[in-house]
Amino acid sequence: MDFKKLPPVQEQLMKCVRCGKCRSVCPVFAEVGIETTAPRGHVFMVQMLRDGKVEPTNEVYERLGQCLLCETCSINCPSGIDVHELNAAARSYIYDNNPSVGKELLFETLWTKPAMLRSSARVMSAAQKLGLQSLARKTGLTKILPGDLKEAEQMMDNIPSKSARSRLSEINLAREEKKYTVGYFLGCGTDLFSPNVAVAAVDVLTRNGCEVIIPKDMKCCGLPHIANGKIETAQKLAAHNIKVLNAYDFDYIVTDCASCSSALSRKNMEFLFAGLKIEDAALALSEKVLDLTVFLIDVLDIRLPQKKTAEKIRVTYHDPCHLANAQLIKDHPRELLRRIPGIQLAEMKAPNTCCGGSGTYSTTHYEMSMKILDKKMDNAMETGAKILTTCCPSCIMQLSYGCKRHNWDVQVLHPVELLSRYYQS
Amino acid sequence: MDTSQLKQELVQLLGKDKVLTQDLDLMYYSYDSSFLTKLEPAPPNAVVFPKSTQDVQKVVEFAYQNRINIVPRGAGTGETGGCIAVQGGIVMDLSTWNEIIEIDVKNMQVIVSPGVIHAELNNELAKYNLFFPPDPGSSMMCTVGGMVANNASGLRAVKYWATEPYILGLEVVMPNGDVIITGGMKARCIKNVSGINLTKLMVGSEGILGIVTRIRLRCFPKPKARGIAMAVFDNLDDAPAVVMDVYQAGILPSGIEILDSSAIKAVNDFKPQIKLPDAEAILLFEVDGNPPSVEYEGQVIQEVAGRKARTVEWATEPKRMAELWEGRSVTAAASARVRPDGSRIFAGEDISVPISRVADTLRALRDLADQHGIQIVNYGHIGDGNVHTAPVINPEIPQEVEKVIKFVDEVHLLAIEMNGSTTGEHGVGAVRRAYAELEHGKAVEYMRKIKESFDPAGIMNPGKVF
Ligand SMILES: Cc1cc2nc3c(=O)[nH]c(=O)nc-3n(C[C@H](O)[C@H](O)[C@H](O)COP(=O)(O)OP(=O)(O)OC[C@H]3O[C@@H](n4cnc5c(N)ncnc54)[C@H](O)[C@@H]3O)c2cc1C
Ligand code: SF4
Ligand code: SF4
Repeated sequence: MDFKKLPPVQEQLMKCVRCGKCRSVCPVFAEVGIETTAPRGHVFMVQMLRDGKVEPTNEVYERLGQCLLCETCSINCPSGIDVHELNAAARSYIYDNNPSVGKELLFETLWTKPAMLRSSARVMSAAQKLGLQSLARKTGLTKILPGDLKEAEQMMDNIPSKSARSRLSEINLAREEKKYTVGYFLGCGTDLFSPNVAVAAVDVLTRNGCEVIIPKDMKCCGLPHIANGKIETAQKLAAHNIKVLNAYDFDYIVTDCASCSSALSRKNMEFLFAGLKIEDAALALSEKVLDLTVFLIDVLDIRLPQKKTAEKIRVTYHDPCHLANAQLIKDHPRELLRRIPGIQLAEMKAPNTCCGGSGTYSTTHYEMSMKILDKKMDNAMETGAKILTTCCPSCIMQLSYGCKRHNWDVQVLHPVELLSRYYQS
Repeated sequence: MDTSQLKQELVQLLGKDKVLTQDLDLMYYSYDSSFLTKLEPAPPNAVVFPKSTQDVQKVVEFAYQNRINIVPRGAGTGETGGCIAVQGGIVMDLSTWNEIIEIDVKNMQVIVSPGVIHAELNNELAKYNLFFPPDPGSSMMCTVGGMVANNASGLRAVKYWATEPYILGLEVVMPNGDVIITGGMKARCIKNVSGINLTKLMVGSEGILGIVTRIRLRCFPKPKARGIAMAVFDNLDDAPAVVMDVYQAGILPSGIEILDSSAIKAVNDFKPQIKLPDAEAILLFEVDGNPPSVEYEGQVIQEVAGRKARTVEWATEPKRMAELWEGRSVTAAASARVRPDGSRIFAGEDISVPISRVADTLRALRDLADQHGIQIVNYGHIGDGNVHTAPVINPEIPQEVEKVIKFVDEVHLLAIEMNGSTTGEHGVGAVRRAYAELEHGKAVEYMRKIKESFDPAGIMNPGKVF
């Protein structure tokens, strides 16, 4: 891939007027205050890289890598610059041109092979129960979890022993008259770390006239790879998924994971495949993709029967960056919560500020990630909520860790879990 | 002193957490929001992040003894290269020293360190029903120190003027390391005519006379009500005439903004749903104060503007106000997108002319743009004659850059010819110093004398202002 010819690099770099508006919204810059972490600093560095004023060194990669890719800057930029895409493109360029930038096993192998990823999670979970931490470490899976190894292990003590895939069938028939055939894109995070979300989603969908198919042969959506500069790997993964998913005749493709839906979105498909042969197929796929909450509200228009027994419960909601910023979806998850009888939505301050998880960021930049998380937790705790909700497994993982870190005894759930509970209550 | 020794010494003075020394990191301090530094970024030899007057003083004393240039910097949102080490030296980034030291509600004043962000200060003050009225468009990102140095103002300058009248006193580290307090060492008063007014001299001096380390500023009670009027004109000349009529009717709005046909088109292309009426000019009036007075002033504006305007609409309901104002609030973004293969640039963007000549100036700007074959978007604070011109070019095409540089030069000359100034709010910095003699004549000699007496070693932000 020719870095200089990528659309954001070609069309957007010159549009940056260095106004600094993005400085005022970036969660990393808010902590550090140094221009090397400012979004406008990243844009500048990408330009230096393009113009050959700096070499694709580890040092440049490190500076760019401080970004969470939370997209807050991009949605606030008056010049319409996708700062995060420029950053990702530059990381990829460095990755391709500098053999010493870490080509970890994790991204190139483990995360591209779902079966291996799942078995690692199982080994890890079993190993932990047996106290065999060193075995757990060998799976390499700790690397994708928050914190350095010690911290990661702490947070891993409740890794589910069964993945969603092992708990769900490939084909799940509608339990009332069938309205839609829905492809369920089961992301790695949900599958391995939040399987209950998938189970709840399938429960709710099948109750509402959807036949839910979870295609067997799907791979990671590729977003973690983009974030880590491995765009070619992301392209391969996406191309595979496009082939698999387009072979079915789905009415919709739904996912509970904000990162997956943003990876499958039109915008990201254009970023990965603009001008390539596969572009049309990619865009055709993205037309069908909807976030689960959007599907439940806009397509199914879910309404719940009032029950006398409905328990009153205070719930707060955290906006995942990949939903609120990348796809501007903020109302649907809230509307869904409001439609569940008994739920009182208590907004936290700055609900759409990143939680600092951002996939692998919490591992690669543990301290920064924790600073951002601590702010988020203060805002969440201030609401006095009993349940903290969000729509992304990476956020669920990070926020659960935050609750533990702050001794805050609440559940961290996807709204669909509350919905499913309500049906079952 | 060679740069590696310089870096070592600075680390020794402040500790390594407050100094940037790696060349790669220094590159990030080679730009501000000016077009100049986009074309020619100029990295410093070191960057320091002081967190106290002592830190500042240590670095300045060291720089003075070793004759090393020192350049204060806030958030780097200036449009003039003011915070750039154009002749090398140490950049002193004061934006991480951001403390609201005291809100003295009883005396209607607040004391801050230089790095406090304007919007954040006003958020705090709002808790006490107070506000610091100057309102630059960069409020969310610029520092109060940068506002003091540039005497920044914004669209409410019509009523509230610029930063200067609000500054009651300053602590300044002088270019030789002395620390002085202007406006009275212990003073907490508001009125004060004692001594030569060094506060006034420092405000707007763009960091060439010393480094502001503490700011005592006056706050106003926050107005309780607001209203917006939009007047649409078929004839450009009617717009400034109506501004005068409104003043004559005894009304002083907080802001009066103009969008000319180029801006109206840019906004409608960018966001068709805003549906600005197709016109020669649109005026937006903002009035603030107490509810009855706002209502009264709104009625007068409606009546007065109605005599010449095609339509006038008045709103006090928040949603409608936001809708009326939306055209203005997206102008900057809209001008950025006039050309898919281009970008607006910040150059020649801030001339100021007499109100009576705004219409002539807007026409002359369009003619100049046509002559040079450059697309522009015009808008501005017509209430005080401040015209913002946004040239839109592809900055990566050298011929376009060459053309725009000539255009911008003529824009500055036009301002002087119209009995105006090359800059109404953004300042001179490195980009407008060539016009100093033409604009100020012999007065520049006296400006130089002041500079030399404050900074005999010539180390404080050289290459700026004149
Ligand atoms: C989108 C946008 C909109 C803008 N709108 C307006 C507007 O409406 N009105 C307006 O007036 N300006 C506006 N500006 C220009 C700019 O934001 C202001 O001039 C602002 O006050 C600069 O503050 P800063 O903290 O970014 O200072 P910087 O750009 O970092 O520095 C500006 C100058 O101040 C000096 N300086 C900074 N701190 C100190 C200090 N503590 N002591 C001594 N000298 C110091 C620097 O040396 C430099 O000369 C705008 C800029 C942008 C990008
Ligand atoms: S907000 Fe956009 S134009 Fe402004 S500095 Fe950031 S990236 Fe550049
Ligand atoms: S994507 Fe988020 S973390 Fe990265 S520069 Fe933008 S605002 Fe900062």
